[in-house]
Amino acid sequence: MTEEPRVGVFVCHCGMNIASTVDVKKVVEYARTLPNVADAKEYVFMCSAPGQDLIKEDVKKCNLNRVVVAACSPGMHEATFRASIVEAGLNPYLLEMANIREQCSWVQLDKQKATEVAKDLIRMAVAKARLLEPLEELRVGVEPTSLVLGGGVAGLRASLDLAERGYKLHLVEKLPTLGGKAARLGKLAHVDIRGADLVGSLTRAAASNSNIRIHVNSELVDLEGSVGTFKAKIRTAPRFVDEKCTLCGECFRVCPIEVPNEYEFGVSKRKAIYLPFKEAYPPIPVIDPEACTRCGECVKVCEPGAVFLDQKGTEVDVAAGAITLATGFEPYEPPEGEYGYKRSEKVLTLFQLERLLDEDGPTGGELKLGGSTPRSLAFIMCVGSLGTTEKAHPYCSRMCCASSLKNMLRIKDRYPETEIYAIYKDIRTYGRGDEELYEKTAERLVKYVRFEESPKVNLHSDKVDIEVYDTTLQEDLLIPVDAVVLAVGMSPSADMDKVRAIVKTGCSPEGFIREAHLKLRPVEAPADGIFLAGSVTSPKNIVESVMAGGASAAKVATLFANKEVRIEPIIAEATEEICSGCAICIAMCPYGAITRKEKGEKMVAKVDKALCKACGTCVAACPSGAMQQSGFKDIQVMAQVAALTERRGG
Amino acid sequence: MEKPKIAMYWCASCGGCEEATVDLAEKILDLTSLADIVFWPVALDFKEEDVEKLPDGSITASLINGGVRMTEHEHMVKLLRKKSKIVVAYGACSAWGGVPGLLNLYGEEELFSRVYREIPTVENPEKVTPQRSIKVDDVELKLPDVLPRLLPIDRVIEVDYYVPGCPPTPEVTWKAVEALLSGTLPPKGSVIGASEKSLCDECPLNETKPDKVLIQDLKRPHQVIPDPEKCLLTQGMLCLGPATRGGCQALCVKARMPCTGCFGPLDRVTDYGAKAASFVASIVDFQDEESIEKVMDRLPDPVGTFYRYTLASSSLGGRARRNKT
Amino acid sequence: MSEQFEPKIALFACNWCTYAAMDLAGTSRMKYPPNFRVIKVMCSGRVDPQFILEAFRDGADGVLVAGCHPGDCHYTEGNYKALRRMALLKRMLETLGIEKERLRLEWISAAEAARFVKVAHEMVEQIKALGPLQLSVQVRV
Repeated sequence: MTEEPRVGVFVCHCGMNIASTVDVKKVVEYARTLPNVADAKEYVFMCSAPGQDLIKEDVKKCNLNRVVVAACSPGMHEATFRASIVEAGLNPYLLEMANIREQCSWVQLDKQKATEVAKDLIRMAVAKARLLEPLEELRVGVEPTSLVLGGGVAGLRASLDLAERGYKLHLVEKLPTLGGKAARLGKLAHVDIRGADLVGSLTRAAASNSNIRIHVNSELVDLEGSVGTFKAKIRTAPRFVDEKCTLCGECFRVCPIEVPNEYEFGVSKRKAIYLPFKEAYPPIPVIDPEACTRCGECVKVCEPGAVFLDQKGTEVDVAAGAITLATGFEPYEPPEGEYGYKRSEKVLTLFQLERLLDEDGPTGGELKLGGSTPRSLAFIMCVGSLGTTEKAHPYCSRMCCASSLKNMLRIKDRYPETEIYAIYKDIRTYGRGDEELYEKTAERLVKYVRFEESPKVNLHSDKVDIEVYDTTLQEDLLIPVDAVVLAVGMSPSADMDKVRAIVKTGCSPEGFIREAHLKLRPVEAPADGIFLAGSVTSPKNIVESVMAGGASAAKVATLFANKEVRIEPIIAEATEEICSGCAICIAMCPYGAITRKEKGEKMVAKVDKALCKACGTCVAACPSGAMQQSGFKDIQVMAQVAALTERRGG
Repeated sequence: MEKPKIAMYWCASCGGCEEATVDLAEKILDLTSLADIVFWPVALDFKEEDVEKLPDGSITASLINGGVRMTEHEHMVKLLRKKSKIVVAYGACSAWGGVPGLLNLYGEEELFSRVYREIPTVENPEKVTPQRSIKVDDVELKLPDVLPRLLPIDRVIEVDYYVPGCPPTPEVTWKAVEALLSGTLPPKGSVIGASEKSLCDECPLNETKPDKVLIQDLKRPHQVIPDPEKCLLTQGMLCLGPATRGGCQALCVKARMPCTGCFGPLDRVTDYGAKAASFVASIVDFQDEESIEKVMDRLPDPVGTFYRYTLASSSLGGRARRNKT
Repeated sequence: MSEQFEPKIALFACNWCTYAAMDLAGTSRMKYPPNFRVIKVMCSGRVDPQFILEAFRDGADGVLVAGCHPGDCHYTEGNYKALRRMALLKRMLETLGIEKERLRLEWISAAEAARFVKVAHEMVEQIKALGPLQLSVQVRV
């Protein structure tokens, strides 16, 4: 710095908030004694118009080139005072604040001690202020293209809303078809429409919207960049069948391989070459590369010649300004044996039940288990939720009560003589119309049994016994039924870790992706430019997922509408004359912002200004001091530390 | 025209810096043709009183090695400061205290007791320790006092330049001498003769580093036969090259020994040991306390390792001396 | 001593978590001892061991480094680096004659105003029990 620092100190009363505890006059007097302090003033409300004017006039009158404002938390008014000093002709980053309200007057009782604290904080702020340097804000243009990961209801809603707004986007879906879990549900609660048909309406709209480019059978394999300037790599696995296919079905007939059908949740089988389901989009079969033995039978029977066993995958690089994660959930998978799961065909999950009750399902909508229709059924609720068993999640999965009750009513409708038990830890019918469902089930004589301790399921050759202590009756019950439905909850999806590693977001304690703020910013990730929709953040039903999809699209649209992103310039930089290219910093950066670049014959570290998030971790690790963070340079922080006591500082 | 005068002196030193000067080999003759050496106890017969007789400021440059530990050192460096235009802290000990600076971890009583009485191989049945004075034939002979701590010379006198190394290499020494005699010198307080960058800049193994340098273990030199084509740090050896000033041409690393830091810190670093510890801890590739502690257990003496040459010049200067209240 | 010893504790607070928690303590009018002097950093990962030694040298009787909980760092991993550095520094402090209890590493999230106040009270009591650090510092010539 070529000029001598001339610091102005402005101490705010904040009405009585500061002044009733801190002796402002003493503090101002003290500030005047500090080296390089050209002037010190006080005012009732420094953030008010006259307060700001006072600062501006003093800057001019006393030729100040650094400003310290001792007032409330910088979180409140740092931006205000930065703007003020700009009007006075100073760079906005020549301001330092001392927090003498939230962190002094409001937390101290003893006035004398509070005044001492305020003096110390101001001395430390002045010590740093002397060494502040002007900084220029960075502006980065935003690419108005989106990347939406996940083609379920949330992802589809988000995509449609953005496309209708006029923004282009890439919709990337891991499976060979759009639709997600909702497309595999039968008739939904309250709206009397099949899941596949509901989702189908969204899918058709997306397919016909020219702003949406759909990539199925695809995954995000790499992501670089940051908000406004992401560079994504999308890898599409080979489908082995192309659009020449006429869906004649001959290949399905001749394929010798059968594996459990994941689109039927294992209730039936599919071939190695298969169409995921009737309403799948795109309506083109796909070959499962792990099941296929490459026998070639399908190729032989394919008249249009649509099957290519040696098809290769493709990769495409995409520029995007925002990423929306809508990767959904997985049904809780009980460990084998939990409530008899996988030990009997009489025990099935809620999702498997949906398939059996769907008229387009593997049994044509007939509830047949092992060849016969059960005359009595027990729904064990809260499976995998509310901590009911060892591997269960501690949370409530929200959607299972309404889904289960809806299915109970459907079973009663089709098979009125069926006895149904609902064995539950809790019933949470909170949504619109759900309480009525609950009452209807009671009217249809569904028997509700409440447990604290998880019931025991005993499997016999033709029956199932359930032992449970009913807390309402305060009795041990032994309930014989023909079949058991496990109302499984929602788990974070299995490749959550993979997604998180690529997108670099944090996770919540339950293992879902963490939102920036639970209540105020529920569809944004903490990292700028990453948005969240649907059950990727926590269990949600279809209503909630669609809402989240729409909300995330609105957030993305706001980002795009602003056209550029401003980056606070308190970022790291390596001085090339000192940097030896030792590379220690590179592993420190979670954003991949640092690379080694060649400078002549040697190497130096280079920080990408748009990627640096200003944490300063690389600075503390830099063994030579070459890497420094603007606004938090070693000398600046050390000066602040040295001013801790009057011994050396101030 | 009179030749410029040069003085060289050793304080608490091992003699290695003197040897380094001798290592200039034939260039010593260049030195003697360019300058008059007016004081050099190890090699020449000038006495203290010869220095006292010189006019103040008449010595162009005094190169002082060794740290200030005895009152005699304090006296001599002050004398040389008075008589010199330029004072150079030559070598790690005078610049930062060097290895002897590690004595600052112990009190005088502790040290004397350990050295003269407790060490198992010491044969000292009468428990004799050095005395300050002794009477011999009615004459009192005095030895210099020990100061409470070993100090780098810049804590005692103003120092103009620093030449790093334990000892400085002949190349670095000659570069420094040339700079001193040329008259074109960097700002006062600078390090001369060496690099502005850390050792990695001149290390042939720097380019072999992977993108991310992370370690999961620390190995002592005797525990590993390093691959000579790969950065030693990435092989788990504790190489302090990244934190250490370059200029030595990576002699140790080329001999497959990790750098121990004898060229000291770079300009922006105020406490070498803290910075070195910071970078080493940063690259330990574990997130849980147990694994982290296990790696650090492999380093039995972190203070000795990271402050090997610089303890006396560090923020605390040695074991914290507490004021008695 | 005639006067009660009032420790001075340097507090390196990360902007997103601990500093916010302290602000929350203020908004909630909680009370804690007047012994802390805050140095705000963006992340606990910015805290260089040089700062801590400088703090002790310059009169701090204790140093508190506080950041986000592991897994919750605003910058994903900065606090893990802080954890590693503090682990090594604590070992060195023992050898350097400073009780390792004088350096404390805490994880305090933005919502945990009460936790901050508790830690503050605890640490002041602990440092009071240890007594003043009072280093005799060699001043440069």
